[in-house]
Amino acid sequence: MNKAKMKRMTRRTEFYMTIVLILMIAIIGIVSGGNLFQASMIVTIFRAMVVDGMFALCSLLVMISGGFDLSFPAIAALAYSLSTTICVNNGWCETNPFMGFFLAVVIGAVLGMFNGWIIANFKLNTMIVTLGTQTLFTGVSMGLLQMKEITTTLPKSFNAVGVSYLFEVYNANGQRSTMTSTIILLIIMAAIVSFVLNKTMFGRSLYAIGGNEISAERAGYNVKRTKFILYTVVGALSGFVGMVRTCLAQQSIPKALVGKEMTIIPAVILGGASIFGGEGTVYGTMIAVGLITVVSNSMLLLGIGTQWQDFFNGLVILVGITVSAVQAKRQTKA
Amino acid sequence: MAEEYLLQMSGICKSFAGVHALDHVNFHVRPGKVMCLAGENGCGKSTLVKIISGVYTRDEGKVVFEGNEITKITPAEATRLGIQVIYQDLSIFPNLTVMENLAINSEITDGRKIVNRKRWEETAKTALSKIDCKIDLYAKMGELSVADKQLVAICRALLFNAKLIIMDEPTTALTKREVEALFNTVRQLRDQGIAIMFISHKTEEIFEISDDVCIMRNGKNVFEGPTKDLTPRDFAYYMTGRELTDDHFIPKKISKEPVLKVEHLSAGRYYNDVSFELHKGEILGITGLLGSGRTELALSLFGLLKPTSGTINLRGRDVKIKSPMEAQKLKIGYVPEDRLTEGLCMAQSIADNIELASLKRISGNGFTLNHKKIFEDAATWVKKFSIATDDPHKYAQTLSGGNQQKIVLAKWLSNDLDVLILNGPTVGVDIGAKQDIHHLVHQLANDEGLAVIIISDDLSEVVENCSRVIVMKEGQIVGHLDADEVSEANILQIIH
Amino acid sequence: MKNFAKNNRYTVMLFVWMAAVLLFFTITKASTLWQVSTWQGIVMQFPEFGVMTIGVMFPFITGNIDMSFVALGDFATLIMAKYLNAHWVDGTSTGSPMGYIMTGILIAMIICIAGGIINGLLITKLGIPAVMATIAMQLVWQGLSIALTNGNTVSGLPELYTEIGHSNVLGFIPYPLFIFIIMAVIAGLLLKFTVFGEKLYMCGTNVKACHYSAINTDRVITVSFVLCAVWSCVGALLMVSTMASAKADYGTSYVMRVILILVLAGVLPDGGTGKIHDVVLSVIIVQIIGSGVNMFSNLNAYYANLIWGALLLLVLILSTKMGADGFHFKKKKAAKAA
Repeated sequence: MNKAKMKRMTRRTEFYMTIVLILMIAIIGIVSGGNLFQASMIVTIFRAMVVDGMFALCSLLVMISGGFDLSFPAIAALAYSLSTTICVNNGWCETNPFMGFFLAVVIGAVLGMFNGWIIANFKLNTMIVTLGTQTLFTGVSMGLLQMKEITTTLPKSFNAVGVSYLFEVYNANGQRSTMTSTIILLIIMAAIVSFVLNKTMFGRSLYAIGGNEISAERAGYNVKRTKFILYTVVGALSGFVGMVRTCLAQQSIPKALVGKEMTIIPAVILGGASIFGGEGTVYGTMIAVGLITVVSNSMLLLGIGTQWQDFFNGLVILVGITVSAVQAKRQTKA
Repeated sequence: MAEEYLLQMSGICKSFAGVHALDHVNFHVRPGKVMCLAGENGCGKSTLVKIISGVYTRDEGKVVFEGNEITKITPAEATRLGIQVIYQDLSIFPNLTVMENLAINSEITDGRKIVNRKRWEETAKTALSKIDCKIDLYAKMGELSVADKQLVAICRALLFNAKLIIMDEPTTALTKREVEALFNTVRQLRDQGIAIMFISHKTEEIFEISDDVCIMRNGKNVFEGPTKDLTPRDFAYYMTGRELTDDHFIPKKISKEPVLKVEHLSAGRYYNDVSFELHKGEILGITGLLGSGRTELALSLFGLLKPTSGTINLRGRDVKIKSPMEAQKLKIGYVPEDRLTEGLCMAQSIADNIELASLKRISGNGFTLNHKKIFEDAATWVKKFSIATDDPHKYAQTLSGGNQQKIVLAKWLSNDLDVLILNGPTVGVDIGAKQDIHHLVHQLANDEGLAVIIISDDLSEVVENCSRVIVMKEGQIVGHLDADEVSEANILQIIH
Repeated sequence: MKNFAKNNRYTVMLFVWMAAVLLFFTITKASTLWQVSTWQGIVMQFPEFGVMTIGVMFPFITGNIDMSFVALGDFATLIMAKYLNAHWVDGTSTGSPMGYIMTGILIAMIICIAGGIINGLLITKLGIPAVMATIAMQLVWQGLSIALTNGNTVSGLPELYTEIGHSNVLGFIPYPLFIFIIMAVIAGLLLKFTVFGEKLYMCGTNVKACHYSAINTDRVITVSFVLCAVWSCVGALLMVSTMASAKADYGTSYVMRVILILVLAGVLPDGGTGKIHDVVLSVIIVQIIGSGVNMFSNLNAYYANLIWGALLLLVLILSTKMGADGFHFKKKKAAKAA
């Protein structure tokens, strides 16, 4: 029994990813002469993980249900730019950022609902539907609403959220850096998503639908309603993450997230989610996001120009999915 | 029990867009008995099941369950009454564990919101204990064998205090031995007082397991009554509406020289040291349980599985077959086991499917293609094999299983072949079409001198069609029966 | 005629959409829409992504999506631009740049073909789902382009080359349009009148059954990606010619636009379907919308996205209702489930 458990664990993608992450950190740590473990470097990496990690969680939820969401960056972009614009125009959120976040979540939820309505009612390919809604939402934000970049006039409380920190750290040479407090948001979100996926019937229903939709329907799940709720929730979360990004970046740029899905989705897959649905864990997703963040943030440490960052990101993803594909192939043969 | 019948249905009618799918069907199930619902594809069996389980509503007719008349059945109502359907695909979640598969349905029905591992585990254990089966609760469902998956599906149904379990063609993907195990389970359930409705079109199974039979044809029931009142001959008549003749294969002319000679062929753990000869004009049967290596041997002959040692000699020349493309060049054809995934492009036309393996011939130069020619050529095959369609432009999926199988056969026969390998040629094919296909294969061997290999675990099929039989077990040939020795009893003796 | 309408219900539907779009812009902006210059603009603009769309159609028919084609085209043309920069400077170099241009195009072509082969091998030999393999390759190609140029524009191309994007064949057919027509006709012939075309559609419906029918499915899929890369290369060459420069992120918005056009044309990523004339029609519809939006001085170009997205969703929803031909994917799914 114990042996069987052991075997099941070692066959999981999450297991390999953890090993790869540790090896990667060790190698980069050694090659960079320990610079990777400088306090400033560590907090930078955690800071870079916040937004990507949260987006990856959104993507993970959809992926488990067997869907493929291309629209979450567009939803986030529309939500934060609209919300920020409203706040700026009304002079809100100078001291309390609540209204801004609330608006973004509501806008995100409404857009998500639109996704959910089409996907649940017409049983269409989710990738194509979200491609359509992505184009549509971009059109709405930059065409219809003419969203503008907001930089210096950003509400003060947003700036405050962005610069707030948990603790200060100092490098050996005395250089000061801070650990962003938004990391707490990522941890809370990961904990909630993990709880929902493992401990609630809603979460299990996502796995069930991703595994076999017809069976899920026969078992008595209301698949339509589940999908509708799923896309609404993911929309709301995307709006929220968008706001976090705005705070961290200290600016609201409607175009900033274009193409974000192309780096987030591969990361989620790398973490063990299946594009056919039914597989994926919060732990694996976080490990994969961590791996990519570490690699792209250690270019300078390794003496490689930052212009190579995108290339190495791509390479990590390519190697990662190749290894897991080969692994899967070997398993089906065995 | 006071009532003689658990379920009585009388005068059931259902039509779709003016077409009668069910026409005044009468139907009774006795408690603690196994009742077989038989009929060829498209006779209305599944429509009837869907009415019982509440997926469809009937247009007319009366349903009485446990003495109470039921006016309207919904899926939830059916579950409450104790009616459980085990569909052919078993409705399982391959990505979840056995425990979750067992517990999830009742958790949903109870309206639970939060997962409690302990409760799930208990539910799952209770379910498995109902028929005393031992399956690792934490194994992934997708990694179980079909037979085990079926047991899990049955256990899950039992959790709902089922009084009537409907099994939709449960034996399709099972081997002979697994079928036996399933029948034992069915008998066990029957003895517990549960009524089983068993849907099948396989003659032997029906006679082996059922107490009562209901045979349907074209939306009507043509026979209803105890199985013992029925002979296999009558049964075949009721199923097809025509008298079937016994049609044993008698080879006319077997070539002296073997066309195919396999010597000491091995492929890893699949099969080991296999040797046999195949002559023109004969039909060789290869039988054995699932996992005996019979399918893998065929795959090696067709270039889909690389043998590790041994030789394949074709027409006196040693050959290495590395891909289906090479097999085709060597004049070997293969009709696979699974029509749906390996045999046909369902969403393409009948004609395109028939010509799929002969595009080069149709093209002439190997590059340009005239679609008119495809349809002309395909039309001759449609006629030759009497494939039931009015237009070869229609999709392959519009045809019944038997006719689809004829397409796969035509695909290979439109090539110039020396050796034809048929793997489970009549799986999921109804009796009438089955006989047509057998007859066709006999003709090919006798008139065109084709060397045919039939791989099958349907013993009556093997006995009826093969002039020689090889029996495989655990990757090795364990028996070799010549024409005068071929009988079901002899084969069974070797297998077990 | 009636027969045509019956067999090509989807094409008829697209014509109706085109008429509706034209009618809308005629009502709102008749004077600008029906000017020669507007149509000159239209036929100059759509060929770059039109040619790419036709290219991506090949893997789509086999049931494989391609996300890497723009990044690959960008990378190949960047290398070409770098090569041309190194060998030719307008005004100072002597002789004709023709030879260098031809060599440059050849280099770009070879890179693209190699890229197509890599895609094909990743998908067929390693069994990586096409979406993932091509997204990864897209990141790799774009990463390489950025690394080589620091994300900067490479300009200074020979005038002889940059003229292509702006000049006419026979004095009245714009070069880009001319090339688009040629590439569309070749693709149409390949799909409709060759063994390869037939195999593409059959593989898109059921790869395994094709493999069991002695078709070299790995090769068919790989070739489809190579063709896709060649067509994308032509599209990228046109793009660079019109822009008079090459850059790592030219045409990145084309990825989504191309997929949108294909789906609009009934070429679904599930595979097995798609007709060249529907694709050409959809390309034109999408361009008319884009140019139409441009006619309104008070609207920015992103309005076109709004209309494209809405149109795509509308067509998708309608197709589930009417089950027009080209949309057998629902039936296929049903067959799989059974």
